[in-house]
Amino acid sequence: MVMPSIRLNSAFAVPFGEGRLEACGKLNRELEALFLARETEAYRNPTPNHTRQPEMFESRFNLFSWPEGCIQQLRSFMLDSIAQTVMEASDLKPAEVAQLKIHNHTWFHITRHAGSFVAHNHPLASWSAVYCVRAGQTPAEHPESGLLRFLDTRCGADGYLDIANRRLRPAFALRSRPMRLEEGQVVVFPSFVFHEVTPFYGRDTRITVATNCWFSSVPA
Amino acid sequence: MARPTPAIVPVFATPFAVVPVAASAELNAALGALFLAHATEAFRDPLAPPDPLCFRSREDLFEWPDPVVGQLRREMLAGVCAAVMAVSLYSEAEFSELKIQARARFLIVRADGCIPAGSAPMASWVAHYCVAAPPPPAPARADSGVVRLYGTRSATMFKDAANWNLREPFGGSHQVWRPVPGTIAVFPASIVHEVALNRTDSDLVLVSARVRFSHSAQSAAPPW
Repeated sequence: MVMPSIRLNSAFAVPFGEGRLEACGKLNRELEALFLARETEAYRNPTPNHTRQPEMFESRFNLFSWPEGCIQQLRSFMLDSIAQTVMEASDLKPAEVAQLKIHNHTWFHITRHAGSFVAHNHPLASWSAVYCVRAGQTPAEHPESGLLRFLDTRCGADGYLDIANRRLRPAFALRSRPMRLEEGQVVVFPSFVFHEVTPFYGRDTRITVATNCWFSSVPA
Repeated sequence: MARPTPAIVPVFATPFAVVPVAASAELNAALGALFLAHATEAFRDPLAPPDPLCFRSREDLFEWPDPVVGQLRREMLAGVCAAVMAVSLYSEAEFSELKIQARARFLIVRADGCIPAGSAPMASWVAHYCVAAPPPPAPARADSGVVRLYGTRSATMFKDAANWNLREPFGGSHQVWRPVPGTIAVFPASIVHEVALNRTDSDLVLVSARVRFSHSAQSAAPPW
């Protein structure tokens, strides 16, 4: 049999950007100390749309308006990471992206033992990102502890599985995508992708910063 | 101006059935004892990582010879058939011609345990039977141990004041079912669902079945 020549492309692909903040140790310790100090009612999100858990603190959504240097350094890194992802995934040119105003809702999460976050997405935003300040422990008996898990956007596509589609390469696989964030790592993804945080079973804390962004043109 | 009267019907509706099993206390006591005795490495699902907070058995429960398991199988499949009949266009005679296949496992969700989200491939319906459940949780823990069905299929990224606050069944948010001993929940296998963290000190014991049907003229069903 002569094997036909096939050129494989992907369709309906979902762009994910990953980056890393180098030499982030000092910044992350400053962020951690600041967040732990502000894990109080005054800073808690007053209108959560999820069932509140004592094991998981969610701040107000105005984090990037805080004036502290560590926050502004993180703001630059995260928004630059998003802008870079937008350029990589679109045909927008750097000069065009530079003309855009990036609006954001940004908050921090502190998760303790048995804290989790239910699957959700972020309407009225185009890009979201999560930055890891502190990964927290992964107990050996709970290898899936504290994962950021993205749900497959192709609902029902895994309803029929046989040998020829159970072992698709990672880019095509019909399953959710778990990600174990490491300190200093940022992941950027379209805001329509449903995602969740699996129960965290470490005895310490898992700390992340999340942002949702929407863009508008700066008036000339 | 007279206010118009729209005729509103749900479209793309998802059936969700709750079926009670009569006189289930004795059945549940026997099942509970049987499952506790079999919550061992030999009966654990080898495809899932071991989880000290949640035991997930092999998916061969309905093949066990124990009479109490046979009774459970009959009750669960009768419940599924009743639910499917209620939402299908088959006549009773046509439906009785269908062959039913099912695979089932038992789940013990302990304190702080949960079942991760997933759908059920190679099946058309899922049935969850509740053998034992913790007492109702405090209001602050309203989602403790619920079966949560994800409302991801009809999600839209555009929200405004006129579509974020729709009443059921139009809201499109996740739906939850609190397991009650002696009841079966039946829903389409394509729905992504999970068992939320059990925030109590008592075990939640469920039997989860993947179910599918074939027509008598159908040569063979695909492998599970």
